[in-house]
Amino acid sequence: MSAAIDTWIIVADDAAVGGLIEFARMRAGRLVAVVAGRKSVADEVATAGVDRVIWLGQPPEATPVEAFAPEVARLVGEGLPRAVLGPDTTAGRALLGAVAVRCGGPVFTRVSALELDGDRVVLTRILFGGIAECRESVDGGPAILALPSGGHVIATGIPTPVEQVEASPMTNAEVVDRRSAELVSVDLPSAPMVVGIGRGLKAQADLTLIEELATALGAELGCSRPLAEGVDWMPKERYIGISGQHIAPRLYMAVGISGQLQHMFGARDSEVIVAVNSDADAPIFAECDYGLVGDLYRIVPALVAALKTPR
Amino acid sequence: MRVVALYKWAPNPQDAQVDPEGIVDWRRATEALSEYDPVAFELARGFADLTGAEVIGVTAGGSAASSSLARKTVLSRGVDRLVLVADDRLKAADSTTLAAVLASLIRRIGQVDVVLAGVSSVDVNEGQVSMTLAAHLGWIGLGGIRALEATDQGLRVDRDVPGGRETLTLAGGAVLTTVADAAVPRRAGMRDILAAAKKPVDVVELDDLGVPAAHVVVSRVATSRPDNAKRQHVIVEASEPAAAAAQVISALRQRNVL
Repeated sequence: MSAAIDTWIIVADDAAVGGLIEFARMRAGRLVAVVAGRKSVADEVATAGVDRVIWLGQPPEATPVEAFAPEVARLVGEGLPRAVLGPDTTAGRALLGAVAVRCGGPVFTRVSALELDGDRVVLTRILFGGIAECRESVDGGPAILALPSGGHVIATGIPTPVEQVEASPMTNAEVVDRRSAELVSVDLPSAPMVVGIGRGLKAQADLTLIEELATALGAELGCSRPLAEGVDWMPKERYIGISGQHIAPRLYMAVGISGQLQHMFGARDSEVIVAVNSDADAPIFAECDYGLVGDLYRIVPALVAALKTPR
Repeated sequence: MRVVALYKWAPNPQDAQVDPEGIVDWRRATEALSEYDPVAFELARGFADLTGAEVIGVTAGGSAASSSLARKTVLSRGVDRLVLVADDRLKAADSTTLAAVLASLIRRIGQVDVVLAGVSSVDVNEGQVSMTLAAHLGWIGLGGIRALEATDQGLRVDRDVPGGRETLTLAGGAVLTTVADAAVPRRAGMRDILAAAKKPVDVVELDDLGVPAAHVVVSRVATSRPDNAKRQHVIVEASEPAAAAAQVISALRQRNVL
């Protein structure tokens, strides 16, 4: 099993594709990066130890990277790799979607493994937000994967020369204004401790209670989706779930969170999960290491007190 | 002008049963309007009310997508009419096939100016179909959309991008996926539901669309259920919060988690 798979990586104007390159390198034969976007991005990807860097040329300032989708698809169609990896961002999905149409196959997401079984590419992926897993073989065209792009690339010696190709992006979309948002100070995915709060909280003012627990643990504060996109008590950057943040802390303490599948998908990689919920039948108790069944308004202060008690 | 609002009539995986072999049983999961779709409807309706555009709901799904409940649910939320395919062969269709069917439906409508969609569906949850649809139509696909308005030349949209916001002008067609909080969806009242029953629905046969088969052949080799057994499952009934809290904190300290 697992011989070389020629792999192309699609870069959507963001050089933070370290995860994609790492994923590809585990089973790659030749590794080719197709870079849509700025030259600086192509130059950075060229340091990552890939075999070829194909750059689609400097786009006009006003051109969104998605406008390169047809050209990316054309290049991949001509190159005929066995696997195509791209970032699972909306821009990445726009480029991969064009590749998928060109190659006549689906884009796969949430893929955990890719290998060669005899002459066939076989992948393992999670279905329906994590309730099932499957292995599938892909024949007749490349396996096209949208994956978490990972952090910055790791430089490995002499950069690969950047080959520029002629490319004409679509011209019907123009960026006329860009505004940077306030810097997001929270980095939930790399936090070693996370406290998550959900709909069990009755009022926004009660967040101070949860903040005390987070402080006592030295934890970052996260939340379930209703608190970020329903009542707006918490910023969206703190929402943990399938379409939000994916966390992997040493400890995740989920307070007043029922444990809906979509939330747990973002929390499942936590080493230890502690749940506090008044409903003994809440699904989170099936997915936790330690569960406290009861009123969070009584349990959270008790947890804070216990944490302040020396061991 | 014509605005297409994509939607999906889909079950929530939360309600599905999965056996130890990883076979998903959807019988107890009732299908409903996918959670993010009403946001796209609301954005489309707001745009249409200002421009006089028509809002056409478009979906491709299993036979339940054509049920009376499914039709009324969509048509009572700001959508003027429906064009849909409801065929159980589409239940397990991949994103590229579904996007091809949707593209074919949209071409049948004639001149369409823009397609709006929610960020992802509740069941598959990949956010891919709309972006692949853009490629099928030869249009640009853009995500993170927060607002759109008509201009003399076409459209102006605001969207979230990593680290900030962008404003773009668009000429010609585009497929746009909305952020979840781009608009607050309306609740359908009795009058909306009654009016929905009178709105036109065009049900198209899948075989009449002539969507070609995919080149890439995907064969399922095996399924499994993700293993949840590694968790400890120590459940404490916390009628004495102080004692229960102390017990859990002590256990975490012993495991060197704290």
